[in-house]
Amino acid sequence: MSAANNATLVVEDLYTAYDKADVLEGVSLAAEAGRITCLLGSNGSGKTTLIRSILGLTRPNRGRIAFADAEITGLPPHKIVARGIACIPEGRKVFPKLTVEENLRLGAYQEASGQVVAERIEEAYEAFPQLRERRDQLAGTMSGGEQAMVSIGRGLMSAPKLLLIDEPSLGLAPLLVKQNFDIIRRINERGITVFLVEQNVRQTLEVAHYGYVLSKGRVVAGGRADELAATQEVHEAYFG
Amino acid sequence: MDVGLFGQYVMNGLMLGMMYALVAVGFTLFFGVLDVINFAHGDSLMVGAFTGLATYLGLRELGVVWPAVQVPVVLAAATAAMAVAGALIARYLVLPLKSAPALNTLLITLMLGTVLRESIRLFYPAGANPKPFPALLPAGAVELGNFSLRADNMLMLSAGLVVIVAVHLVINRTKLGLAIRAVAQDEETARTMGIDFTRIVLVTFAIGSALAAFAGIMNGLYYNEINFGIGLLLGVIGFSSAIIGGLGNIYGAIIGGFLFAALQTIGAVALPFASAYKDVFAFAVVILIMAIRPTGLLSEKVSERV
Repeated sequence: MSAANNATLVVEDLYTAYDKADVLEGVSLAAEAGRITCLLGSNGSGKTTLIRSILGLTRPNRGRIAFADAEITGLPPHKIVARGIACIPEGRKVFPKLTVEENLRLGAYQEASGQVVAERIEEAYEAFPQLRERRDQLAGTMSGGEQAMVSIGRGLMSAPKLLLIDEPSLGLAPLLVKQNFDIIRRINERGITVFLVEQNVRQTLEVAHYGYVLSKGRVVAGGRADELAATQEVHEAYFG
Repeated sequence: MDVGLFGQYVMNGLMLGMMYALVAVGFTLFFGVLDVINFAHGDSLMVGAFTGLATYLGLRELGVVWPAVQVPVVLAAATAAMAVAGALIARYLVLPLKSAPALNTLLITLMLGTVLRESIRLFYPAGANPKPFPALLPAGAVELGNFSLRADNMLMLSAGLVVIVAVHLVINRTKLGLAIRAVAQDEETARTMGIDFTRIVLVTFAIGSALAAFAGIMNGLYYNEINFGIGLLLGVIGFSSAIIGGLGNIYGAIIGGFLFAALQTIGAVALPFASAYKDVFAFAVVILIMAIRPTGLLSEKVSERV
């Protein structure tokens, strides 16, 4: 990891217990600034717990998490968001009883300037013109694909340095899955560091630069995405 | 029934409904952000009324005798004191129990309510006796046949309406309100948006408790008397109103408050022994409504809030 790079996420020897089935037992990994790093693993491997730990939703028992050369272990979520980390959560998690525009607005909750928020909402509408048409619709009444757009747009509203993306393809139709990966690539091309958690091995490794494989709360493989695709651990993690 | 008497009943119903609505909105706000019932809420109303009374007496000692100064200062002192008290209750009693069963929160706020009630009874000078509450509002009235439309009642109703509209605007048109609604719908996702959850809970408890204090002052001005026990029944009625409306729904709480007052009024008018049975009648109807619509009138789903 280059110390000068300012949007690198480093996780060191992390132990977290969220629930019995999804624990971390000494996870160390890094998401390098400006790159897409993916984390592969089956259900119960600890992926969700790792995301929760990074976001400050679950406090680790041991180990440290650092972002942009500063420790963030144990900080409450709003302070972690303030460092420039945003999340596109698993299952979209749009606020169902809020309008599309209110959902977007919440993504920029810590942005004090109303003008900046308005500009970013405009950017989201340019990226997803359907959302502009439906700006006053309650997000809960939209289709899964549209909710994914709201969730992605919302995740970008804070202009994050690091975006955590948790299982974006879960529950989406194959065509939308492909679109989703294209969007992730484009987000990264804007200079945003991406940490992508996925179960969809093939397409994930195509889009990612680096990858790790998590199994039973431990990192069992890691390296460049193209090399990782060929390793035994990836297959074992899923089919073993 | 003659028109004058009918007018009095309607006015009385509206006054009560406004107070109940203000109390019920607090219950529903607390439930929205934290899924808890604050059973000390009625007693916050009572302490708010006593704070207002003490402020009035203090002002009088200082020689401030002009209602134009007294009313705003009394209101400000009562609402500010209860806002701070509400935030403290949230910070030190309710939030620490967040991961405990909801019953524990219910119990601890129930006990707090008793402590508040008994403290006023024991420590407020002659607190066991009813206290006369000063008539601070203009006493004029417009005579409409044999119904007199009193200026103080109209002022209180208007002020209550302004407060309810203000709550509506804060919840729906401000960033704070957006954060409150987001926390109510999905606390964890709201936190990952960068919302300081603890701050939102404290502010919500402050707002709700300030509304209770406002209702407490209204209560004092309307009946010209307060006592240490007024929060008990008002708390239960406010809670019932919030439940009838669909707990978590602000507009449901407002409607529930006025509905409860309407039931009491109908009970007082229609039942043979006049007002003695009005509460029995109103609560009986509430029980019936809950049996038919267990989640309240405006709630489509149990999970729906604010």
